[in-house]
Amino acid sequence: MRIIDRYAYQNRISRLDPACKTGIAFGALLLCLLLNKPLVGLTTIAWMYFLAVFWARLNWRVFGKVLLAESAFLILASLGVFFSVSLKRDVGSLWDWRLASFWISVSRASLQQGMLLIARAAGAASAMNFLTLTTPLMDLLELSRRWRIPAILVDLTAIIYRFVFVLLDRFNIMFMAQDSRLGYTASYARTMNSAGLLGSRLFINAFQHSRRLQLALESRGYEGGDFRALPSTYQPCRYQAWIGVAVFASLFAVWGVT
Amino acid sequence: MIPVFEFKDVCFQYPGHDEFALQGFNVKLPQGEKIAVVGRNGSGKSTFFLHCNGLYRPNSGGVFFKGESLAYDRKALRQLRQQVGLAFQNPDDQIFSANVFQDISFGPLNLDLDEDEVRHRVQSAAEACGITHLLQRPTHALSGGEKARVALAGVLAMEPEVLIADEPMTSLDPWARLSIFEIFERFHEQGKTIVMATHSLSVVRYWSSYVIVLQAGRVTFSGTPKELLNNPRVLEETGLSKIWWKVDPAFPENGAADF
Ligand SMILES: Nc1ncnc2c1ncn2[C@@H]1O[C@H](COP(=O)(O)OP(=O)(O)OP(=O)(O)O)[C@@H](O)[C@H]1O
Ligand SMILES: [Mg+2]
Repeated sequence: MRIIDRYAYQNRISRLDPACKTGIAFGALLLCLLLNKPLVGLTTIAWMYFLAVFWARLNWRVFGKVLLAESAFLILASLGVFFSVSLKRDVGSLWDWRLASFWISVSRASLQQGMLLIARAAGAASAMNFLTLTTPLMDLLELSRRWRIPAILVDLTAIIYRFVFVLLDRFNIMFMAQDSRLGYTASYARTMNSAGLLGSRLFINAFQHSRRLQLALESRGYEGGDFRALPSTYQPCRYQAWIGVAVFASLFAVWGVT
Repeated sequence: MIPVFEFKDVCFQYPGHDEFALQGFNVKLPQGEKIAVVGRNGSGKSTFFLHCNGLYRPNSGGVFFKGESLAYDRKALRQLRQQVGLAFQNPDDQIFSANVFQDISFGPLNLDLDEDEVRHRVQSAAEACGITHLLQRPTHALSGGEKARVALAGVLAMEPEVLIADEPMTSLDPWARLSIFEIFERFHEQGKTIVMATHSLSVVRYWSSYVIVLQAGRVTFSGTPKELLNNPRVLEETGLSKIWWKVDPAFPENGAADF
């Protein structure tokens, strides 16, 4: 999470208006789901990879790794679509294997369906990866504020986002402090004991922290209600919009041609 | 002159705890001074400061701001907090936003200022604290000292008349300390009051114009640093004489320092 976050604000287009990146990513996602040809998904992946590497100047390995990890899940999840199991041998199948009294087979239709599923899902995932790796979460939240998502949801997400990191920091520090006093190397029992202590400390810590935060907010004039925030200043979208047009047009073209 | 703050016989217990964090607490903070608050860990410095902002309410006794008893209704508190800025001991307690710019702008926005004014204040507070290059960073990607400066900028952006800082120097490098001292100096030149909790006796001796010594929830001394140095009884009682003599060889053993 920390790594994704770091890329999100250190890439070349992180200061670009989030509306434009979101538009491209969600547009591509939608087309991936609507246009039912495997090549559409593959084209989306290619586009997103290209944009991430050449436009946002992300490291090509990072984008690849994230996508690869997701694809592994995807393939596992879609095994059920490829293979069908039955008692009788299906004559129309491309391949089949005998397993005890069952026949496991792959038919042409299921192969196509599986390919389509994987391509679509991977395409959609790559569009979302592009968005999360190039856009800081706070920008996405600001966009949702602009789009009139209820303020309470936005504020809550923002606070949670901030305190996930605070908690993570505390966890790391406490863990290291315990570790440096051999809390995790002495024995199994000591390890369990240390982990328990860490958990309860963390809980108390979070509780006290929330109380002090409440005081700090009040001291800066907060009187309940929504948090006020100024709109950030972004680089506006200009030629960037054409990137979106190019992506969508090529997806339609691929769909029409094949 | 009317003191900015006056505490009369204030007692305070943390809910559910038997010991008093403040007990028979009497003090006057003079206007326009550089006030150092010293005392051991747990002597009540932070608790005292939280009272100055109306965040805690005494169990008994009274807190007076510019001669008037603190009221704890919404409007009065709002006015108080506009005039009295409090920088917390731990910046992580204070920084609530993941975005530095947003966090600094939080206070000014609560003052109902218009957008241009808020942006202007954020910018100048960030400049004063030397963090303009951090404005677009997420707050969780800052070092401890950088967080401390962001937290201070968040308070300065409200342009208070009294600045209360709870050990602002603790996590800062010497360069950053120097720049904080410069910020404080500019703040003080405008005739405003600074209150700072500190564990550094050289800050007490060379920076402050007024010192308050706390011990176990009471004020055992308040006055100028010179008076403190010339008061062997207090120095002895608080154990400051030994410490001072050890850490600061320039300090004469008999306590009669000439400034
Ligand atoms: N949240 C709390 N709940 C209960 N007791 C508390 C709480 N915070 C502080 N205390 C107690 O109140 C007393 C004063 O604490 P305070 O935090 O004001 O000390 P301090 O002078 O700021 O210390 P330090 O130099 O360590 O910051 C201490 O005895 C402490 O144990
Ligand atoms: Mg304290």
